Amino acid sequence: MTERIIFYILAFIMIVFSLMSVTSTKIIRSAIYLLGVLMATAGLYFLFNLNFLGAIQLTVYAGGIMVLIVIAILLTHHVGFGLPVPDKKHMILGWLAAMIGITISFFQFTTHTFKPKIGNLDDRVSKMGADMLHYGDGGFVLPFEVISILLLAGIIAAITIAKGGIPHLKKRLKSGQPTTVSSSTKKQ
Amino acid sequence: MHGTERFTAAVHQWLLGMFSPGAAHIAEMVLTGLAYLAFFAVAGLALVYLERRIAAFFQVRLGPNRVGPFGLLQTVADALKLVAKEPIGTKKADHFLYSLAPYFLIISSLMAISVIPMGAGFSAFDIDVGVFFLIAVSSVGVLGILIAGWGSYNKYSLIGALRSGAQMISYELSVGLSLLTMILLVGSLRFSDVVQAQSDYWLIFKGHIPAFIAFVIFIISGTAESNRTPFDLVEAESELGAGFHSEYSGIQFAFFFLSEFINMFIISAVAATVFLGGWMPFHIGDLEGFNHIMDYIPGPVWFFIKTGFIIFLMMWFRWTFPRLRIDQLMKLEWKYLLPLNLLNILLMAFFVWKGWYL
Amino acid sequence: MNWIDIVTIMRDEWSIIGILILLLAGEILVDKKQLSMLIPIAIGLFVLHTAMSFIPGDKATLFGGMYRTNEMMHFMKAILNVAVLIILFQSYDWVKTTLLPNGMANAFYMLLFAVLSGMYFLISAGDFIMFFIGFELSTLPIAAMAAFQLKEMRSTEAGIKLVLLAGLASGIMLYGISLMYAVTGTLYFDGFLSAYYHEPLLVFGFILFLSGLAFKISLVPFHFWAPDVYEGAPIAITSLLSVVSKAASVFILMILLLTVFKDLSDAWKMVLYILAVLTMTIGNLFALRQTNMKRFLAFSSIAQAGFILLGILAGGAVGAATVIYFVLIYVFTNLGAFGVIQAIKDESGKEDMTDYTGLYRTNPKLSLVLVLALFSLAGIPPVAGFFGKFFLFSAAAGKGYYILLIIAVINVTISLYYYLLPIRAMLLRTSDTPIPTTKSGNMMRIGLLICVAGIMILGLYSPVYSFVLGLTQSWL
Repeated sequence: MTERIIFYILAFIMIVFSLMSVTSTKIIRSAIYLLGVLMATAGLYFLFNLNFLGAIQLTVYAGGIMVLIVIAILLTHHVGFGLPVPDKKHMILGWLAAMIGITISFFQFTTHTFKPKIGNLDDRVSKMGADMLHYGDGGFVLPFEVISILLLAGIIAAITIAKGGIPHLKKRLKSGQPTTVSSSTKKQ
Repeated sequence: MHGTERFTAAVHQWLLGMFSPGAAHIAEMVLTGLAYLAFFAVAGLALVYLERRIAAFFQVRLGPNRVGPFGLLQTVADALKLVAKEPIGTKKADHFLYSLAPYFLIISSLMAISVIPMGAGFSAFDIDVGVFFLIAVSSVGVLGILIAGWGSYNKYSLIGALRSGAQMISYELSVGLSLLTMILLVGSLRFSDVVQAQSDYWLIFKGHIPAFIAFVIFIISGTAESNRTPFDLVEAESELGAGFHSEYSGIQFAFFFLSEFINMFIISAVAATVFLGGWMPFHIGDLEGFNHIMDYIPGPVWFFIKTGFIIFLMMWFRWTFPRLRIDQLMKLEWKYLLPLNLLNILLMAFFVWKGWYL
Repeated sequence: MNWIDIVTIMRDEWSIIGILILLLAGEILVDKKQLSMLIPIAIGLFVLHTAMSFIPGDKATLFGGMYRTNEMMHFMKAILNVAVLIILFQSYDWVKTTLLPNGMANAFYMLLFAVLSGMYFLISAGDFIMFFIGFELSTLPIAAMAAFQLKEMRSTEAGIKLVLLAGLASGIMLYGISLMYAVTGTLYFDGFLSAYYHEPLLVFGFILFLSGLAFKISLVPFHFWAPDVYEGAPIAITSLLSVVSKAASVFILMILLLTVFKDLSDAWKMVLYILAVLTMTIGNLFALRQTNMKRFLAFSSIAQAGFILLGILAGGAVGAATVIYFVLIYVFTNLGAFGVIQAIKDESGKEDMTDYTGLYRTNPKLSLVLVLALFSLAGIPPVAGFFGKFFLFSAAAGKGYYILLIIAVINVTISLYYYLLPIRAMLLRTSDTPIPTTKSGNMMRIGLLICVAGIMILGLYSPVYSFVLGLTQSWL
């Protein structure tokens, strides 16, 4: 009973915050509302006793991605900045699309009978670690290693673009051209 | 059964006697929450007092000594003053975020404290991923600093916040990796298991060379993680005023101030638990008699002595080392600590594999 | 499964990752002034790698079903290798003049090989986890590479557009996968659908999943990113996106639809039918109006993707063979066209269709290559493109898709008009300010020669098709 109440509270938080995150015109507030959604998701995981998943959710999203997003906003925006309110046509179309999506998902979820997984979920961290390095049936060593290549490629790409951009930035600074993208790509 | 376990069991029985099981459960939750909040406030004030006394000690002066015996009530008086003060903010600030920011720090510190065992069975939330959970929630705190810096609408605050963001993201790696090195010896992320594993030798002795390296790295990066000198670029007073909390005053400033000291307490408590045995008394292998004598000192006392020792160490740093520049800070982490840490993990894994530990 | 198996069966993956790591070590160890020596090393190693991939592969399953391969998948990887090799040759001058001074040359090769390894894992995926990782690995680095021309805002714009829309597509796709997982309870392709194909939730998840893939193949209505990204990105990356990335995605789409989602064919045949009609028609209609050569080829490649769907719709070993054969031809054809555009852009910096007026007078060889490639794209006999389309259409006709076939033929007729526009400009018109005679480097010549040889040989030499048919027959 208590669990059910907590579940509904968390779900309500998630819905409200995601709506606020989408509709807010201040980008940093959007980010903070998004953080609320992610934290509530972590709360759901803790509620279901998926502690490891919950901790992952906290580290990766709250501690990693949100910090990156907020730093990016800090570097590029200004307190006074607000995003333009989209025009009526786009608003209506967007809401319509969202409503259609919600309706379809709702009907699909309510009409489908989900089968619970039989047997206890072994979510000990040591078991997960062993699975990550297991290369037979049900092991995850291949995706685990391939993800490392993905990360390597990401790091190479990020460093290359960041380093390659410096000479151009210096040149622009010298010639007095604008250095930010937002001011130089405005439509003529 | 240890004393602390007996205490919690007694409280449980007493509550069960008074309420129905459901209500007793809720009452326990509320009591635990209140206890932690009270601890938060008391520990924060005590640490501020300690800091001032120790600073004075290193500078050969007296420090606070007028209010109450030995000046013990000085920080209480300061806190009362701060609470009574009018909050003054900037006009153009983003007031919603400005007021929200301190709570991020407080909540993340409270959640982090909740997993640390202060005695046998004496932690609020003893989950199976305890160490990882602690790293996870303490990474939320940095958001509070970032938002505070942004919301204050002050360029010094913003610079301080950005510095802190870069610093905390970087040093979190070292904190996590050095803890992971010790987890290799224990084989479990649960804090109570970590403490239990030290019933013969503390982990710093058990894992000898790599454990000592990990301890040093942890203390360095922990000091950086809690934004203390020599890593206090976030609020370098000669450059940035007060850094990210320049624009805060009154109770909100008190929140920041307290959470900073609580963060130091958390770092020290984790170091004490993972490296120095937590509440586990000082045991030497199979020396029954010696171990038995040590057991007479209760667990919480051991815990607070060890934590206090590390806190003293961190306060000592403050008056010993000069502040680093931001590029030196980054270089220290990414070029020295991180590679050293990774090598250290390999070394520890090798030792564990070969069984070369006590 | 033992270690030797893992090494020999996954040799393509091992070798490409080995080259990647070698280049990474080179980047760190080699002195900054001598980094240019890594370029020939990268190309040379990749030539060896490509040669090795022509050794036929075996049928095998590794890692508990997460990785599976057979002769056909191995051949698909060889096709991708050839395509990347041509791109390497064609981009040599561009890398040397533009990327090397910024110290980005080596990163270009590393990312290119990372993308290729992602495509290998995508094709060989045996479950949705590997599929998704392969999908990401073959998309995200391209977004960074699209932004490599740091001086140009358009290039940055292309990179950001690609990364945002790819994120959106992955999100939708992941949602679809999670819904399908909720129904079936397994992520492995084997026995995925056994008893659940009548569940509406599964079909819903599948449609979302298909949208993600359709984004990557840029099928209408998921094509909006393509023209802008193709136009803004450097030409080497545009050819990578429009040829290699598209080929890999078509391959995995075909593999999934014909094996894993076989039982759902009622659902996906209808969806694919609509997508094919939309893609062919809208791609063609927009291609008519383009003046920028890259944008023009972008829309033309959208339309070509619509034709490919005909082969998947036809299904069976024959349909699969026609798809692979068409993609093989498409690789040579489109890369030939992009190669010429790159050669001219490298020299003169021009890429508008009006600039190409009178090109034959100044650059007869280059314009002949372009004419050949455009003929092949349009499907004019006897060049290879004709046979590719012919086989696709006959496979579709064999399954009775007559209305679709009529629409396709109408579209081919429309496309003839716009493919002939640049040809007319090059051959028949004269210009007061023609593009001066360009002298391309040797590498570019080799690249273009491979394309021309591919277009001619595949058109005149029939055993290739029967070879592909043999592969698909042993697969299905």
